[in-house]
Amino acid sequence: MREVYVVGIGITKFSRLEYPLVEIAAYPSIMAMKDCGLSSVDHVYVANMGGSRLNRQTALGSALVDHLSLYPTGAETIENGPASGASAIKTGFMAVASGVHDVVMVTGVERMRETNNLEATDFVASLAHPLAEQIYGVTLPSLAGMFARLYMDKYGVTSKHLAMVAIKNHNHALANPFAHLHMPITIEGILEGPEASTNNPFVADPLRFFDMCPVSDGGACLILASKDVAKKTKKPMIRLAGVGQATDTHCVHERKDPTDLLAVREAAARCFKMAGLKPKDVDVAELHDAFTILEIAESEEVGFFKKGEGHIALEKGYTALGGKLPINPSGGLKAKGHPVGATGVGQAHEIVTQLRGEAGERQVKNAKTGFSCNFGGFGNNVVALAFQKEK
Amino acid sequence: MKEQILGYKCSKCKTVHYPNRAICRKCGNDKFEIEPLPDKGKLLTFTHLYNPAGDFEVPVLDLGIVELSNGCRITGQMKIENPKIGMKVIGKIEKVRQSGYTSYKGMVFYKA
Repeated sequence: MREVYVVGIGITKFSRLEYPLVEIAAYPSIMAMKDCGLSSVDHVYVANMGGSRLNRQTALGSALVDHLSLYPTGAETIENGPASGASAIKTGFMAVASGVHDVVMVTGVERMRETNNLEATDFVASLAHPLAEQIYGVTLPSLAGMFARLYMDKYGVTSKHLAMVAIKNHNHALANPFAHLHMPITIEGILEGPEASTNNPFVADPLRFFDMCPVSDGGACLILASKDVAKKTKKPMIRLAGVGQATDTHCVHERKDPTDLLAVREAAARCFKMAGLKPKDVDVAELHDAFTILEIAESEEVGFFKKGEGHIALEKGYTALGGKLPINPSGGLKAKGHPVGATGVGQAHEIVTQLRGEAGERQVKNAKTGFSCNFGGFGNNVVALAFQKEK
Repeated sequence: MKEQILGYKCSKCKTVHYPNRAICRKCGNDKFEIEPLPDKGKLLTFTHLYNPAGDFEVPVLDLGIVELSNGCRITGQMKIENPKIGMKVIGKIEKVRQSGYTSYKGMVFYKA
């Protein structure tokens, strides 16, 4: 298996973007090609979840290749729910590692705000089981609410811990020009003050409005290449050292322990094994905090902290910028935003930016090893990636 | 005829699955017997959802996961005041969703 490097990166602001879907995909793709100085690639992978339903557009791979005048380069669209982005990176990794291609473009894109929030939530809920979950009105926030209630009951996590995740990630996002929400929040404003219940009502109790990620539009791109090509680009040598993927039951109720995120644990273990790394080697991580409870739970499942101790690490400030292991320096899905198909690529973009030392005010000092976890379904399909900076 | 929700019992290891699947997740067998699910169980977890999908004409939708008396679990709607984890519940088959001209029936849980 050949070594694979990230040679070019690009991203849009995650926000409400009033551009056609293909243009939101094209912008970060061009940025990434300019970043590495390449004018052609061997293959294009586009990650997208909702184009067919939200934007009435399918076959985005073909559309992007045409828009960038890259034809007759091969292209396809990869859909794996909210883990589409990291799935596409994994597919690109396999293409380069196997020797089939030397350079590939991986672009994640989503335009969710073309519709209203209820329709967007209903669209994401289409990944739940049609007969055993969807007919009851199960949505992702409701699954997260049921998960959070049990998790809090079992491990002593409180609403204050959840609010601390939101406050931390909103603070991180203030230093990220690409983040959706540039809004500092306080514990008084969202939990303890007299206006808190108005500012931060329940959405799926015990989860409140500020426990949820925003609905975002956005795109992000990585150019992956073999070592020979990477050396010629003269960019920092950032190796995609490991990829791991795992699945779990479609229905959350079928899991032996509904607070167990088996697919997160397995995907991370497979990723670390391929990379020859351990969780303690990681300097910076992007975890899939679509709901605040997930950052705490994932930080345990991937092996950073013992089960039931993620919220204690949060309390001690370990996971904030300046702490022992900063988690979601970009602002995470919580504040950077969650354009579903683009999210996994956006996470990887942040890790590469950090390892290159180009993250400005949110830079994690001396970051050499990074990790990202892209969580699809309600944890039924998870892709983990590990990156290392080489000298 | 009494309306029931059907579980799928593996003909070999007798594990009851809901919903149906092609291969038993415990023993790998591919043959199942249909068995009505019991209506009694205990509440494992729940939420009050304040932004249900557009076709639910209610401001709040109560959802829960219940472990039935045969060990099989099911997700359903709830009509329970002050629900508590671990409480005993009983399920009834009722209309749970009206989506355009299509209506769906499913399990609605009440306090036992």
